[in-house]
Amino acid sequence: MTDPRLAYVQRKTRRRLAFSAVHLVLYFSFSLNWSSWGEPLSHRLGVTQVTGSLLMFILLVLIFIGMEFLFLQMESKETQE
Amino acid sequence: MFLFLLRSAPLLVLSGVAAAAGSIDGEVEQQPLNTTAIVMFLLFVVMTLLITWRAAKTTTSSAAFYNAGGKITGLQNGAAIAGDFMSAASFLGITGLIFVGGFDGMILSLGAFAAWPLLMFMFAKRVRNLGSFTFVDVVSQRLARGQIRIVASIGTIAVVIMYLIAQMVGAGKLIQLLFGLPYEVAVITVSALVLAYVAFGGMLATTWVQIIKATLLLTGVTLIAILILARTGFSFNELLSLAVEKHPKGEAILSPGVVFKDPVQIATIQVSMLFGTLGLPHILMRLFTVPDMRQAQLSAFYASLFMGYFYLMLLVLGFGTVAFIYGNPEYFDADGKLIGGINMAAIHIASAMGGDILTGFMSAVSFATILAVVAGLTVSGAAAISHDLYAQVIKQGEPDPKTELRITRIAVFVIGLVAVVLGIAFENENVAFIAVMPMVTAASVTFPILLLSMFWSGLTTRGATYGAIAGFLSSLLLIVLGPQVWVSVIGNEQPLFPYDYPGLFTMPFAFAVIWLVSVTDRSARGEIDRANYHSLLVRSEFGEKAAGEGAVG
Repeated sequence: MTDPRLAYVQRKTRRRLAFSAVHLVLYFSFSLNWSSWGEPLSHRLGVTQVTGSLLMFILLVLIFIGMEFLFLQMESKETQE
Repeated sequence: MFLFLLRSAPLLVLSGVAAAAGSIDGEVEQQPLNTTAIVMFLLFVVMTLLITWRAAKTTTSSAAFYNAGGKITGLQNGAAIAGDFMSAASFLGITGLIFVGGFDGMILSLGAFAAWPLLMFMFAKRVRNLGSFTFVDVVSQRLARGQIRIVASIGTIAVVIMYLIAQMVGAGKLIQLLFGLPYEVAVITVSALVLAYVAFGGMLATTWVQIIKATLLLTGVTLIAILILARTGFSFNELLSLAVEKHPKGEAILSPGVVFKDPVQIATIQVSMLFGTLGLPHILMRLFTVPDMRQAQLSAFYASLFMGYFYLMLLVLGFGTVAFIYGNPEYFDADGKLIGGINMAAIHIASAMGGDILTGFMSAVSFATILAVVAGLTVSGAAAISHDLYAQVIKQGEPDPKTELRITRIAVFVIGLVAVVLGIAFENENVAFIAVMPMVTAASVTFPILLLSMFWSGLTTRGATYGAIAGFLSSLLLIVLGPQVWVSVIGNEQPLFPYDYPGLFTMPFAFAVIWLVSVTDRSARGEIDRANYHSLLVRSEFGEKAAGEGAVG
């Protein structure tokens, strides 16, 4: 534990796990659509035909890509430092 | 008509869920000979064979064969990963499922997409830093090399063979559907072309076949999506309105519940698709084709971009099929069945939007997708035999380079032969369960070993071995007791296990066995395995090689 490189790696491991945990929570939350808890998502948004479920799918894809971009930026910044 | 379509949905679901396995299951009908599609496909073949001819000049060693010399860029590799994974079943199966069940098809799209961000967060950099050619290199870094290589290689070969069967049967049926060619001709053609690509061009030719395929597929779906949206004034809302108007289930297609009712069933699909994808050896192998860890991460990012775009386009295509195919007598036979079966919905929408040319193009692209996936599988299977077993286990890491390359090429031919034989043997079998197996096996065998070898200091060789066996046997048992074998193959009325995809149960079981055996392992080897962890952790992040070819154990 006294090795500074090991401490650095452990910090980065925690970051990996944090990103992964957020990803997994979001991913498995999609199954709520098929349960009674996700019932509000089945309603249409305003006067459009788009339902909360459809919007959730699109947002999840975009959020995952955004998270990857953020992760890459953090890695890149750290490498430069 | 709709009841017929809905009854066909389970088979379609399986082929869609097994999108990675690329299986096209269920009822297919041979169509008239499609000359436009054949000409376009021949153009693709000529182009890829030229690339193979060029690649063959540089594929003069086993290393070049396995990882294309590590010279592929992140962008190219991302495109190749997308080309490897976006199968014909993704395109045809998911579009067909949206055609039948509307929103329910989205679960397959999300499942197929979500693995890539996780690949970047957890695996891309560390796998690239620790391995050389295969994921087995990674898990053998801190564990007893010989034993874990045998276990992991057998897992790789099992996944590759099962995946290959699903692919070959899918190829035969798909080509009957799209080209009007006999089943056997399709199976032999796929195998012969893949042998040419892989035996001579190795990973380099395979990479370019996958890149070209990904480019063509993305171009095709973009064109169809634009043509669909053009008919609705580029309004997605108008497209949904039209779809609701045409579909027998009306507004219900915009919400969950038309095909799937049970959230546990959804969770079983999610687990199998997400973690199964992360354990697929031919996907993991692609991380070694780039020069460094940064490019490995970029590979995963670009793969996500391509696939995210692809699955969003399928949303338009899927609802486009509902809006423009339902109610059009041109696409239904006298009995009210969709001509060619539900898998043809995507091809029919290409026909409705772009006529014969676009239909021919998408048919040719669908055939090309199978070649790209089978090529990737063949490279992975050959590497498991020649690198993991021959070079590293039998020759203890010191093989004669020429002999290793010869064995690699022999392995390619053997895999090609096995693919033809099994493809023809399984022609009339219900292969849905074979399409399920690779994803569940990868989630329950290769994924737990790979994850814990990099993230848990307590893992021991004994734990990994018992866990792999437990994961494999439990997967096999629950699939046999489940609907796909117990009911569809054996003929019982009710399954003993209710779900098609047991990954939700088998994967935690494998993890539990690994944990229990590892924490109770008091062997000397177990102590070494644990002690190796911290040095491995540092090397995985900094990319340093350990003494003695990077192996610790």
